[in-house]
Amino acid sequence: MITFGQLVLRINKLRSLVASGVLVLVLGLSTTWAADDPEFADDYVPTVFITGANRGLGLGFTQQYLARGWKVIASCRKPDKAEALNELAEQYPSLLTIEQLDVVDFERVDALAAKYSETPVDVLLLNAGISGGNDKQMFTKMEFAVFEDVLRVNTIAPLKMSEAFYNHVKSSREKKIITVSSSEGSIAQANMPRLYFYRSSKAAVNMVMKNLAMQLKRRGISVAMVNPGPTDTDFMAGLPKSMLRPTEDAVSDMIRNIDGLTVETTGSFYQYDGTIIPW
Amino acid sequence: MDKKKIEATAIDTDRRDFVAGTASLIAGMMASGAASAAESSVQPLAAPATQKNTVLVTGASRGLGFEFTRQYSQLGWRIIATCRNPGNAEQLNALAAENSDIRVERIDVVDHQSIDDLAVKYQNMPIDVLLNNAGIGGGPENQLFGRLDYEVFYEVLAVNCVGPMKMAESFLDHVKAGTQKKIITVSSSQGSISQVSMPMLYWYRSSKSALNMLMTNLALQLKRRKVIVGLVTPGATATDFISPEFRKRIPGIREPAVAAADMMRNIDKFTLENTGTFFNYDGDIMPW
Repeated sequence: MITFGQLVLRINKLRSLVASGVLVLVLGLSTTWAADDPEFADDYVPTVFITGANRGLGLGFTQQYLARGWKVIASCRKPDKAEALNELAEQYPSLLTIEQLDVVDFERVDALAAKYSETPVDVLLLNAGISGGNDKQMFTKMEFAVFEDVLRVNTIAPLKMSEAFYNHVKSSREKKIITVSSSEGSIAQANMPRLYFYRSSKAAVNMVMKNLAMQLKRRGISVAMVNPGPTDTDFMAGLPKSMLRPTEDAVSDMIRNIDGLTVETTGSFYQYDGTIIPW
Repeated sequence: MDKKKIEATAIDTDRRDFVAGTASLIAGMMASGAASAAESSVQPLAAPATQKNTVLVTGASRGLGFEFTRQYSQLGWRIIATCRNPGNAEQLNALAAENSDIRVERIDVVDHQSIDDLAVKYQNMPIDVLLNNAGIGGGPENQLFGRLDYEVFYEVLAVNCVGPMKMAESFLDHVKAGTQKKIITVSSSQGSISQVSMPMLYWYRSSKSALNMLMTNLALQLKRRKVIVGLVTPGATATDFISPEFRKRIPGIREPAVAAADMMRNIDKFTLENTGTFFNYDGDIMPW
C-alpha cells in the first residue's frame, strides 16, 4: 500500500521525469535546427556590401560598420586612390575587403557576385550616386545625355546590384537591400525648380525599389530607401558648412533606420530622423 | 548641392532668358520688317489669320492620340497631329482629309531634330495646348526582376521622359504665345509610387515617376511665366498599348474615346493656380 503522500511524490517524480525528457527533446531539436542554419549561430558575423565606399557617406558607412564588428566588402571605382579606405584595411585586416567596382560596369557586377557566391550579404548598401552637375540640367539647355548617365548610376545600377546579389542577401540573416536616396527625389516636397535629372533619377529609383520591396517581401527580404539629409561631403561641396551635418551623424542616423527596418516596414523611404518621407 | 548657388544660377538663367527673349523679340520685329521687304526662300508658315485654339498632339496616329485629334477637331480646334510615320497613318490621314484644321506632321519624339524642325516650321503659330501623348510600355516581359533587359529601360526613358522635356523646350515660345499656355503630358497611375500594389513594369513605372518629377519641376519653373504644366492619366484603356489578351484580364477597361474625353475635361480644369497637378481621369488628384 502506498499512502496518498507517497503517490503525490511519485507522480511529481514522474512529472519531472517527463518534463526533463521534454526539455532534452526540445534542446536536442533546437540544436538540430541550429545545425541546419549555421548562419544563425551565435558567432555569426554579418556582412555589408557597400558601393561608393572610398569617400563621403560610403566611407562613413565602412568605418561605422567596421567599428561594430561587421565584415565589410567596400567597393569603389579606383581602390588604388582610395587612401582612407586602404588605411582602414590595415586597421581591420580580418574584417575589411576592398573591391574594384564601377556600378555601371555590369560585367564587373556579375563577376563580383560570382566571386562572393558563397558569402551571405546581410545588408546590400547601394550608396554610389552622382548629381550630373547643376549646369547640365537647366530647362531650355538640357543635356539629355547626362540624364542617361545619372539614371544609369542612380536608378539602374541599384537594381542591377539587387538582381546580381539577390541570392547573397537571401542566404544572410538580416536580408536587407538599402538604397541611399534623397529628399530631392520626393515629388511631394519639391518646391523650387532645380536638378531635373538628379531629382527624377531619385523619384525613379524610389519607384524601382518600391516595386522590389513588394516583390521580395514574401521571400523575407526587406528593401528600403534612406535619406542622409544635407551632409558635409564632396557631393555637397560649395554649401556653407553651417547648413550641413557631419558625415558621422548622417551615417549613424541612416544605420539606425537600417537596423530598425523589418519586412513589415519594407518599402519605406526614411528621413534621417526616422520619419517617413512622402513620395 | 549648393542650394544658394543653384537658386542664383536659376535666377541668372531666367534673367538671361528674359534678356535673350527681349532681344529676339526686337530682332524678330526688325526681321519681320526686313522679311516683308525681301522674301526669303525658306520660310516658316505664316501666322494663322483666325483666333482658333491650337493643340499639338504627339503620337496622334492611333489610340488616345487619335481620339484627342478627333475630339479636339469636333470642338473646332486647329490640330497639329504628329506621329512617327505620317505615310502609314491611314486613319489620321482620312480624318485630316475631311477637316482642313487638322495638319498631319512628322515627329518622332526620340528624333530631336524632327522636333526642332517642326518648331521652326510652326514658329509663328501660337500653341494653346502642347499635348505630350506619345509613350511606350517597353513590354512586360522585358522588365521582370531576375530577367531585366536594361537596354529597354533607356528606350522607355527616351520616349516617356526625354521626349516630353525636349518638346517642352522646343515649343516653349509657341506655348507662351498661345492664349491657354498649357503643357500637358499623359502620365499614368502606374507612375504613382504610393498607389502601386503589385510588383510589375519596373521600367514603365519608373519612367512615369521620373516624368512626374520632371513636370513638377517644370510647373514650378514656368509658373511665373504664366505657363501651366499638368499631368493627366487615361486609366486602363483598350488601345494597342495593352495587348488584346491582357485587356481581357482588366475589369472595367475603358474605350479610348471615353478616356480622351475625360482627359480633355481635366485639361480644361488646369489653371496657373493648380499648375503641376496630376489628375486622374475621374478628376481626382493622383497622389505621387
